[in-house]
Formats: sequence, C-alpha cells, structure tokens
Amino acid sequence: MSSVMILEQILNFIVDTYMVEIDEIPLNESLIDEGIIDSFGLIELASFLEKAFLIQVNDDDLTRDNFSSINKMIALVDRKKSHD
Amino acid sequence: MTNNIERCSKCIQSKNYPKIKFEENGVCNFCNKKNKSTKIEASFIDNAKIKISNLFDNRIKRGEYDAVVCYSGGKDSTYVLKLAVEKYGLNVLAFTLDNGYIAEVAWKNIRKVVDSLGVDHWVYRPSSENYKAIARASAITDVYRKNTLTRISAICNSCISMVNITALKIALEKKIPFILAGFTLGQIPINAIIYKNHYKFLADSRLESLNKLREEVGDVVDDYLCIKDELINEVKEYPHNVNILCIEDVTETEIKDAIAPLGWVSPKDVDGCSSNCMLNTFNNYVHEEVFGYNPYEMELSHLIREGLMTRSEALDKINDSSVEQIAPIMASLSIEKNDIISVKNVYDSKR
Ligand SMILES: [Zn+2]
Repeated sequence: MSSVMILEQILNFIVDTYMVEIDEIPLNESLIDEGIIDSFGLIELASFLEKAFLIQVNDDDLTRDNFSSINKMIALVDRKKSHD
Repeated sequence: MTNNIERCSKCIQSKNYPKIKFEENGVCNFCNKKNKSTKIEASFIDNAKIKISNLFDNRIKRGEYDAVVCYSGGKDSTYVLKLAVEKYGLNVLAFTLDNGYIAEVAWKNIRKVVDSLGVDHWVYRPSSENYKAIARASAITDVYRKNTLTRISAICNSCISMVNITALKIALEKKIPFILAGFTLGQIPINAIIYKNHYKFLADSRLESLNKLREEVGDVVDDYLCIKDELINEVKEYPHNVNILCIEDVTETEIKDAIAPLGWVSPKDVDGCSSNCMLNTFNNYVHEEVFGYNPYEMELSHLIREGLMTRSEALDKINDSSVEQIAPIMASLSIEKNDIISVKNVYDSKR
C-alpha cells in the first residue's frame, strides 16, 4: 500500500469522526494541538490504524512522537508494514 | 434553556451543535450518516464481544481483584457492576468518587447495591475546597478545547478525568487488570470500547488542559489529575479499560428492571439525564449558555438512532431539569453570571 493510500484512509477517518473538513487537517502538526482530537481521539486513531492497515500497534509504539502528526502516523504504518 | 430551539426532525440535535447540517425533511447529517454506518458498527460490536470474553477468560490473577468498577450509583454503572459480578464472574472493587454533590438518594442506592452484590467498595472524597476550585475553574475558564466538549460539560469532563485517574491509580497500586465504567456508545467512541490505559501516551493529550487548571487552581490539581512518576515508572503492564455496557443491547427500562432487585430506586430529586449528581443541571446550564446546545444531545440522539429511546422521551429528559438547583450551586462554587458570560466570550473569540 502506498503512502498516498494510507494518507487518504487516515484523512477520510478523521473527516468522518471529528467533524472537520479535509482542508482543516494539518499533515505535519499535532492533531491535539490543533484542537481536532483529545485523549479519546488518540485511542481511536491507534485502534483505527490497527484495523485499517492490519498492523499491531504495541505499547512501545504508543509514543508522543509516533502520533505527533499525520505524516508521523503514516511513517509508523509504513514501518510496521515493511516489518511484516 | 434551549426548549424552543430548531432541532433535527429525527433526533434531538439542535442548530447550534458543531458542524450540524439539516438536510432533506429536516433530518440532520448525523442521522443520515448513521444509516450508512450501521453495518460497520455491528461488526465492531461483535469483535468487541469476542475480545472482551477473551480478555476476561484469560485474565491472570495478580492481586486480590479482577476489576475496579467506577461506580457513580447511577443506573448505568449499577448495571455494569451487576454484569461484572453476575455475568462475568469477576471479583470486583467498586469505586466511588464522592465529589460532595452526590444526592442522598443516590448514596442509599450505592450502599444497597454494593451490599446486595457483596462487593468491596472504596470511596474517595477529594477535599471540598480543592474539588470546588477545580470545578469552578472548569466552568468559567477555557480549560478544554470546544471539540472536547461536544458531548460533555466542562465540569463533568474534569470530574470524569478525576474518576479515571483515581481508578487507574487504584488499579496500578493493587495490580488490577481491568477498569470498568458505565459508559455507553453515545458517550464514548466505538473504538474506545476496549483500550489499554497507557498513562504516559495519553498524558500528552491532557497537558494543555492540565496546565490551564494549574494556572487557575495551583499545583494541587496534580494530586487529583496526575499519577506520580514513582508509580508510573514501575508499571510493567497498564490495565485495560473495558466498557462492557457498550456491547449490551438494552433499553433504559430493561436496565432499571434488572437492577431493581438489588434495591436500586430511580432518584426523584435530580434531573432526568444524570440520575445522581446535583451539579448536573448547573453544568448543562453553563454548557447551554456558552455553546448554545445541551451536552446530552449527542448521547440521547444516539439512543434514538439505536431505537433505544423515542424522540419525545429524549426531549422530556432535556427539558426536565431542576432549574431551582442552579442558583445554590453557583453560590457554592462562587460563580456569578458574569463569569459565564466572559467564558462564552473567550470561546466565541476563538471561532
Ligand atoms: Zn438527527
């Protein structure tokens, strides 16, 4: 799966779940700092990544850095996918 | 209050709810979206059912208890306590945060229920002064982002954070693998039925609001809303939060009938939505003044969409509030009307 496809799925999920328009979603900024998600949002996103991309997000993956922006989340998915 | 406001013709979400659009026949975009997503939700819930029984069946006994149950004494958490004991056979510790505003009738229910189920019960009462300071700051300053407050009032949000953090502390100290609470799917996202309560990961997302509370109240907020590094650094495995009510398909009446044999009676001296906390009417009032809609709209609308409540029952709940409770609560928290107007202005200026 290409990074563009991963991006598209993540964006669709965020638009559907958090009542934002696609052009309001930053790719390199924290969704928390932007006020788009709260702590439940982090739980949801981690669970979404697992189900949508069939990866296992372990305790060690749950770090500030991995979830600090959409691009970082795509990188996490990429890394997990290439390790399979 | 918001009695005569324009609402969706199917659910009760009103025109001031964020991102609402009224589409054909006055039906809102959330109801229309629901029609499309029902299948996905059903498969989510089926998966959650399997995951929950696996988690409970394969639990490893590390301490005295299997689960700490956040127990407010309301009908939902009473039902959860009953399910935990009777359906799942868990050895539970019931935990109640006494915020000083729990109605007397609710206390009677709490005592009767824990006694009938034969469970241990732990009550934690933060100092009244500190609790009130946190509640006050939550109501009259922009502690939370407005997206965090689409289905909960600011005071409730702070109070629930206190409950969650205290439950996690208990679970970590007593090596309890599960934390159960009475949340339903209208209150929490479907992805959050089961999750690992990873304190460090989630702490980041709470930092901004925590700092605002520290500014208003002082570092004493850390005692209630943070866990000390000494405890966190020792953690080998965080407990799972499991919201078992989300996988049950039950109406309010069925829940009430199921818990009546435990001695639970419906409180009459509190308003229709939350059945035990006397702050609730005031919290809803502030939310309506600041954001223009009732914080229970989403939750009740969810129940309507699920066929678990009728639209008129939901409207009755929203409109049936004990307004006479507002003034005494404002006085007890030293809040004046002007304080509410100024927080509204702060939120408005951010739009
Ligand atoms: Zn609707």
